[in-house]
Amino acid sequence: MGRPGFVLDVDERTPPLLMHEGEGFRLERLPLGSRVIYPPESLPAIVDLESAIRHALAHPHGSDPLPRLLRRGMRLTIVFDDLSLPLPPMRTPDVRQRVIEQVLELAAAAGVDDVELIAANSLHRRMTPAELKRTVGERVFRAFHPDHLHNHDAEDPGGLLHLGTTPHGEDVEINRRAAESDLIVYVNITLTAMNGGSKSVSVGLASYASLRHHHNVHTLRHSRSFNDPPNSAMHHSYDRMADLIGGQVPVFTIETTLNNEPFPAALRFLTRREWEWNLTDQASYLAVKRSNDLATAKLRRRIWQATEAPYGVTGVHAGAPSQVHPHTLAAVHRQQLTEVQGQADVAIFGLPYICPYNVNSIMNPILVMSLGLGYFFNLYRGKPIVRQGGVAIFYHPMPHEFHPVHHPSYIDFYELLAETTDPVMLETKYEKQFATDPWYTHLYRTSYAYHGVHPFYMWYWGAHAMQHLDDVIFVGGNRSTTARLGFRAASSLADALELASDTVGRQPQINYLHAPPMVLADVR
Amino acid sequence: MTGLGEELRLLRHGRDWRGRARVPRSAQRWERPEAGDDFPTAWARSAPAGALRTALQQGVLKPVIWSQIRPVVHGRQYLDSVRGPAIFVANHSSHLDTPLILGALPRRITENLAVGAAADYFFDSRAIAAATTLLFNAFPVERRGSRRGRSLAAELVDGGWSLLLYPEGGRTVDGWLTAFKLGAAQLCAMKRVPAVPIALRGTFVAMPRGRRWPRPGRPRVTVRIGRPMRIGADETVPEFRTRLVRAVAALWAEDDLGWYGALRAAADDSLALPTGSRSVLPTTASGQLTEDSDMAPWRRVWEATRPPATTRPRQVWTD
Repeated sequence: MGRPGFVLDVDERTPPLLMHEGEGFRLERLPLGSRVIYPPESLPAIVDLESAIRHALAHPHGSDPLPRLLRRGMRLTIVFDDLSLPLPPMRTPDVRQRVIEQVLELAAAAGVDDVELIAANSLHRRMTPAELKRTVGERVFRAFHPDHLHNHDAEDPGGLLHLGTTPHGEDVEINRRAAESDLIVYVNITLTAMNGGSKSVSVGLASYASLRHHHNVHTLRHSRSFNDPPNSAMHHSYDRMADLIGGQVPVFTIETTLNNEPFPAALRFLTRREWEWNLTDQASYLAVKRSNDLATAKLRRRIWQATEAPYGVTGVHAGAPSQVHPHTLAAVHRQQLTEVQGQADVAIFGLPYICPYNVNSIMNPILVMSLGLGYFFNLYRGKPIVRQGGVAIFYHPMPHEFHPVHHPSYIDFYELLAETTDPVMLETKYEKQFATDPWYTHLYRTSYAYHGVHPFYMWYWGAHAMQHLDDVIFVGGNRSTTARLGFRAASSLADALELASDTVGRQPQINYLHAPPMVLADVR
Repeated sequence: MTGLGEELRLLRHGRDWRGRARVPRSAQRWERPEAGDDFPTAWARSAPAGALRTALQQGVLKPVIWSQIRPVVHGRQYLDSVRGPAIFVANHSSHLDTPLILGALPRRITENLAVGAAADYFFDSRAIAAATTLLFNAFPVERRGSRRGRSLAAELVDGGWSLLLYPEGGRTVDGWLTAFKLGAAQLCAMKRVPAVPIALRGTFVAMPRGRRWPRPGRPRVTVRIGRPMRIGADETVPEFRTRLVRAVAALWAEDDLGWYGALRAAADDSLALPTGSRSVLPTTASGQLTEDSDMAPWRRVWEATRPPATTRPRQVWTD
């Protein structure tokens, strides 16, 4: 059994601690008295996963067993999370493949002919055939691609269906095939507490008309945090939409949870507590660090992007979404929750090389911002790890790099930031223009581009943090890109703390969120 | 990009020569029991390994150690009666202790002696575990009792091996005598073998925790070997343990009180004995018993490192 997460008080015995910084990492000595939030150790994985999946399908929560829901002549749509989950991509066979194969075995036994598989990519870029094959496996890919295994298209005028509006006036428009099915089977991976549940269908299969009701500045500023669904305005909106969808089309969801094994054995030191590093870990650190530093940028990126996570599955729960998700959340909390007493003046985050939107791609400055001020800042329950008016220090080089195929609208969005970085201003003045731009739409539908509005959403993702923090500093950040985003760059932690002293004084309390592996701070 | 030197400096920061860092205080609660006893040690008890070990101990280890310190050994004659396995128990405050005892004991004993070594310290790196096992015929001992049932000690005694154990469970931080764990006494009771108390004085001064080599000046150290002791028919294990502690404390006190004075103090039960978490200094140079548990750490070290009384003969003619 893994040890629980805990908060380390840095004392004179504490060795330098590991800090991710994009496609690299370093050891950093934190000031004495700093607190370091460590995730719980990885939980043991389910040994017989096939049996666990079979059991979940046969003994669902709040639903008849799946075999009883399947019948000859029905329209069955299997929807699965796209390549934004999990991170890094898990070692094959992907758990989605293993679930989908069992669902299809049952469907075949029931004589279901009309089966469609859809990647729930929402406004994300389409998955390439190779990525689809990697996710669902060779057998499924060969049997269904390309006609019956494809990406969701949120801009296909004939492929969407408006199901109605919620009591709050929110449009619910989702994939037509799914909406007109006799049953949607959703295959999910819940990596963080924000995933899964109502979000799956209402976001993964939605259109811009639907998404704009919760992916906006107001909602995100009232999602505290979006990793704590009961206190997330965003999730409340998802719930309302899911209720409406559930009233019109039955949804059977299968949610899976993973343990905290994001790195392969050669990178084991990245997940071990530093004072427990043995000679092998230290030698690995040195070898990987030096090789990584000496590698060309292209090679470095290729190696990191080729990293496969040896994740183990800790839970499989199936049934009605509202009944399943509490079990899933409990499993996520078991793996990720660490109790923290009190906020700090300064929060430190080491940002890794990957976020949900740069799988096999480049993490551009806007994605860095979204990873830091969005995802990492919101890894809390209760209160942020840094107080209102505090300072966040991130580690990332933030190079001025964009993937021209995947992120075309990001390139133009970056130019807007010269005019303003205010999320509300950007939303009111430019969002619609980008969202409806025919060229971006064309690239989203026919190439592998993120939707035109996507960089706005990434910017909104950090809206809560921007409102909460008085200063944001990037250690090692490119000065011009950092400045463009409205933040400050420092060459070292000492310099960053010097800059922060204007806001929080010279003896600030510091909290360092030691992630990845994933940790959710339960701040009391 | 930082240079290799800077990387190494950061990596080595706060770690000892084996690459181990001390556990931060707030993390001690979450320490994981080490899996040290998984390291195989049977090979080190084979005849070729034994011959190599004897050659290393007698040809390298002892000459080197004896060249760096001035050992004085008392009580070797009590070992004449030891035939067959015995448990040697000693106080422990320095890495010098084991080579010193091995050098002080007769070869007929050291050739059949296995040394209990902390599993979490000596057996977490395979290279260090292999070297320790070969040189000292070491076997892993769990200090935290998490795998007590799997200890090799009983098996080794059954196989005719004598054991050297440090019942304090590790080197003391201040040179004082700390309470004995039950393991050694339990083993004596279970296997009906004698225990031989040994007291070491001066090793804390010569090479305390944190030093990798004895301090210069060939400091004097004393090894006092006591009479073998057997558990009485009606004696309980805790009672036998207390008797063992008292024997070690009396041997310890001989430097200060003299042989007969220490015997008298032991008989009068006036030697301070460690209990629970309370460590003691059985005697001081001035003859005062010191057992103040609230004493500041520096004062404890100060007392433990007080130079021994001069050993010049008593002056017959006075001015």
